Amino acid sequence: MPEPRRRRLEMRDVVHVYEGKTATRALDGVSLDVHDNEFLAIVGPVGSGKTTLVRIVAGFLRPTSGVVLCDGAPVTGPGPERGYVFQEEAIFPWMSVRDNLGFGLLAKGVVASEREKIVAELVRLIGLEGYEGAYPKELSGGMSKMVEVARVLATDPAILLLDEPFGLLDAQTRSKMQDQLSLLWEEKRKTVILVTHDVEEAIYLADRVVVFTPRPGRIKVEVTVDLPRPRSLETRFSPAFLALKRSIWKEIGRA
Amino acid sequence: MNGLWRRRLWRALLSLGVLAVLYGIASQIGSALLPRRIWMVAHYIEDVELLPPYASLLEEAVFLVKSGILPRSILVSTARVLEGLALGAAVGVPLGLSMARVARLEWLLDPWVTFFRFTPALALLPLYALWFGLGELSKILLIATAVAVVTLLGAYQGVRDVPRVYLEAAKSLGASDGLILRKIVWPAALPQILSSVRIALGLAWVTVVVAELIKATMPSLGYLLALAGAYPRVSTIAVGIVTIGVLVLACDAAALGLYAMATRWMKRSPADA
Repeated sequence: MPEPRRRRLEMRDVVHVYEGKTATRALDGVSLDVHDNEFLAIVGPVGSGKTTLVRIVAGFLRPTSGVVLCDGAPVTGPGPERGYVFQEEAIFPWMSVRDNLGFGLLAKGVVASEREKIVAELVRLIGLEGYEGAYPKELSGGMSKMVEVARVLATDPAILLLDEPFGLLDAQTRSKMQDQLSLLWEEKRKTVILVTHDVEEAIYLADRVVVFTPRPGRIKVEVTVDLPRPRSLETRFSPAFLALKRSIWKEIGRA
Repeated sequence: MNGLWRRRLWRALLSLGVLAVLYGIASQIGSALLPRRIWMVAHYIEDVELLPPYASLLEEAVFLVKSGILPRSILVSTARVLEGLALGAAVGVPLGLSMARVARLEWLLDPWVTFFRFTPALALLPLYALWFGLGELSKILLIATAVAVVTLLGAYQGVRDVPRVYLEAAKSLGASDGLILRKIVWPAALPQILSSVRIALGLAWVTVVVAELIKATMPSLGYLLALAGAYPRVSTIAVGIVTIGVLVLACDAAALGLYAMATRWMKRSPADA
C-alpha cells in the first residue's frame, strides 16, 4: 500500500471475559488497525465476539485487558465522535422523527435554528419528507433504521460503528438499505466498522473484511476487497465478488 | 382513543346497571325474609333494614343531598384526596427516580420501603394523630404516605425498566446525565409512573375514609360512613359507598385519560386502538 494512511483506530491485544457463574472468554487477544475513511467489516459466527469488540470501541464495555486507541487517545467511555448504530431498535419511541434526528445536536448544545437546518437536510437525505412530526411507531423497520443512521450522522462523527444494523430487516429491505448506506458512505467518507454475519453484505460494503473465529474470538483472516466503487447490483454478480465470497465462506467453514 | 373511551363508559354503565338490578331483587326478597330486629352487643335495635329497598335508598339520598351534607362531604373529602395525592406523589416519584439512578441510595432505602410498604393506614392513624395533631395535616399526611409508597415503587420500577439500548444510544450521542434524565429516563418511565398514580388514587380514596376518623367532624364522607355505622343505618352506608364508588370511577377515568395522552407514542395492541 503506497498511499500514506492515518490510523484512526488501534486495538492492541484486546481480551474480554464476561464474568458470571461460568466466565466466558469472548475475545482472545484481538489486534486490529482501522485507517481513516476505511470501511471495515467484521464477519464471524454467532458468539465470535464481534459485537463485544465494537461495544468496546464504542466505550460501552471495558476490555478485560488490552487497549483501544482512537486518534491516539485511549477510549474511556462512549462519545459522539464514535457514532453507534444498534442491532435492535434504538430510536427513541417517545420522540418524533425530528427530535430523534436532532438529539445529538441538542446534546452538543447546537442552537435551535441551526439544529432545524441540519435536521431538515438529514430528512431530505433519507427521503422522509412529511414524516418529521411522526412517532417511530408510524415508521417501517427500514425507515426507522435509516432514521437511526441519520441521527448518528447529524453530529458528523469521525467513526461509525454499525452492529448488525440490518439484521432484523427482511432480505429485500436489507439490500435496499445496503445501497443507501453505500451511497451515504461515498458521499460522507467516514471510518466505518460494520459487524455482520452476512458475508455478502460485508463484501458489498467494505474495503476490508476481517473474519473472526468462533468463541473465543480471534482474527482468523483478513481479506482486502478491491472491487470498484460505486458498487451496484452488477457488483453482486461479478466474478470477483463471487470469488471473494467463496474464499471467505471457505475460511468460515474451516473454523 | 374516542372509541376506547366510549366502550369503557358503556361497559361501566352496563355492569353497574346489572349490579343495581341484582341489588333490587336481593332487597325485595330480603325485606320479606330478614329480621327487622337485631341483637347488637348489649341490646336490641328495632326497625333495622338490613337490605333497604330502592325507596328507602332514594329517600335517604334525597335527604343527604337536600340537606347539603352529601355535596359538602364530597367537596371536603375530594379535596383531601387530591391534596394527599399531590403531596405523596411529589415525594414518592422523585425518591423512586433517585433510588433507581443512585445505587447507594437504593442500597440504603430498599429495606425501608419493603418494611413499610404494607403498613396499613389504620395502624398509622393514632400515631399521626399524636404527632401531627387532630387537624387537616394528619389526615392529608396519612393519605400522602400511602400514595408516596405506591408512586415510589412505580417510579423506581419505571426507571429500572428503561431499555439499556436507549441509555447507551443517548450516551453515545453525547448526552449529559441531566439531559438523559429529562429526555430519556423521564419519558420512558412516565407510563409506569402514571400507572402507579392511578393505583395510588384508588388507594387515596380508601385511605381518606380511614383518615377522616381522626377527630371526625361533618362534613366528610369518612365521618358520614362512621356515623351511619354507629346508628346503624344501612341506607346511609349504601349511599356513602355508592358515592365513593362513583368518585373512584371518575378519578380512574381521569387518570386513564391522562395516561392515554402521555403515551400516545406507544405501540398499542389492536384491541386497545
